[in-house]
Amino acid sequence: MKIPISHKATKRNQRLFFLVMIVLFVPCLFYLNLSATQFAEGIARIPDIAKQFLQISLDDLPKLLTELLTSVIIAFLSVVISVIVALLLSFVIADTTAPNRHVAKVLRVIVVVIRTIPTTIWVLLAVASMGFGSMAGVLGLLFPTTSFLIKSFTAQIDEAGKDSVEAIRALGGTWWHVVCNGAIPTLYTTFLALIAFNFEMTVAETVILGMVGAGGIGVLLQEYISYYEFAPLLMGILVVFITLFLLEMMTNQIRKRLNSQAR
Amino acid sequence: MTILLEIKGLTKKYNAGTVALDGIDLQVKSKEFIAVIGPSGAGKSTLLRCINRLVEPTSGSIDFLGQRVEKANSRDLRHVRSQIGMIFQHYNLVSRLSVLENVLHGRLGYMSSIAGVFNRYSEEDKKKAIALLHKVGLENEVYKRADELSGGQKQRVGVCRALAQQPQLILADEPIASLDPKSSAVVMDAIHRNCTEQGIACLVNLHQVEVAKQYASRIIGIKNGKMVFDGPPEALTDYHAALIYEGKESQMYQQQVAEEQPNPTGRKYA
Repeated sequence: MKIPISHKATKRNQRLFFLVMIVLFVPCLFYLNLSATQFAEGIARIPDIAKQFLQISLDDLPKLLTELLTSVIIAFLSVVISVIVALLLSFVIADTTAPNRHVAKVLRVIVVVIRTIPTTIWVLLAVASMGFGSMAGVLGLLFPTTSFLIKSFTAQIDEAGKDSVEAIRALGGTWWHVVCNGAIPTLYTTFLALIAFNFEMTVAETVILGMVGAGGIGVLLQEYISYYEFAPLLMGILVVFITLFLLEMMTNQIRKRLNSQAR
Repeated sequence: MTILLEIKGLTKKYNAGTVALDGIDLQVKSKEFIAVIGPSGAGKSTLLRCINRLVEPTSGSIDFLGQRVEKANSRDLRHVRSQIGMIFQHYNLVSRLSVLENVLHGRLGYMSSIAGVFNRYSEEDKKKAIALLHKVGLENEVYKRADELSGGQKQRVGVCRALAQQPQLILADEPIASLDPKSSAVVMDAIHRNCTEQGIACLVNLHQVEVAKQYASRIIGIKNGKMVFDGPPEALTDYHAALIYEGKESQMYQQQVAEEQPNPTGRKYA
């Protein structure tokens, strides 16, 4: 007889997990009515669509670039405002620095509620109340961006800021001393890296959110799509791709440099 | 000698139900250098942290220079804390700031929020801080960033920060537990010499009996949250030590201060 080598409970759990997945998969497939014929027809259409996409026009480039700039500015503004709000609130919320536990708890619940609502919904709400345009974009992005930053900031404060916070508290410092002389200098580069990452995410989001009316290059892309203008559309997609790619490279560099500094 | 600190019936129960301290009574007179020994988890750290209320005591009274610490409001508590220096096992420096800034933090307890946040330290304080760093042999490190230093150097910065408070009492929580024997000796000497010279009382948590005997004027043994020994180092026999560390004997001999080093204080081992 062979000698068993696995941990029995773990193995049983894994088997159960895959069994449940398979059992769920079959009814899901039927529920959506995915048909093979539709799939085959779609595949057949791909070369045709690809041919249409293969044309590119530089005519709209200036227009695309100005709208892209608008998108980036929308992202930048909402990140800057979010950083200010998040910096103030995260020290009130984080366990290590919270001046009042009850206030912290209430604020934390609010942040969770904001985070559970998708960004698109926030922007749609902002568009509904403010009308189409950049104003709705900035306002709608503010909520999800702030709550993202608050969540990452508080996690860092509770994880990396504990020791210096304890030290400043022990020598009789005020709450402001604890935050400004202890925690912020300790977490400075970590926060910067998080902000860079958040900015990158927000720029990507503004492009998509333009399509629901939040201003910027997304509005233009949405127009091209609805009028089947593939030539400028491809140009637009290319512009967005290059921007996001460069941005990602840049923030990666920033984060790498900050990390090496932290060591 | 005046009584600096008087603790009566100090008890701390953590939420999980563990009793960290179980009715500790302790009097600290000025200029005493007390070593608190005991195995890890005995409650040494909790005892020190209850004194300046980094940990809230469950019951009991703590009297520091006539002020009831456990009842103090946040302003009075700040005042008490500013007179009590603290040294940590993991140094707890602000790693991104300069060595000098870290030492100057010792003055924050005497400053307003605004003055502290904008680093408005007086020239007098700066001079004193630099003098302290010279005294512990860090004259070449004054403007280095705290995270560029070695462990032993960091802890000396921690000692300077505590001394910069011009405290009545210093609480040192395992100050040498993360250091190699050589640095341990340098740090313990820095703490002991400065406390003796400036008449500062000191409570230092240690888990090495030999180090405690070498420096302390009085030794307190803690086990399972209760005080099981209180007396001069000469009175702490191997029998007592064995009793305190019963079941955790291996911790007694960990990381002793290098005995092969010539003892810079000139003190004989007690």
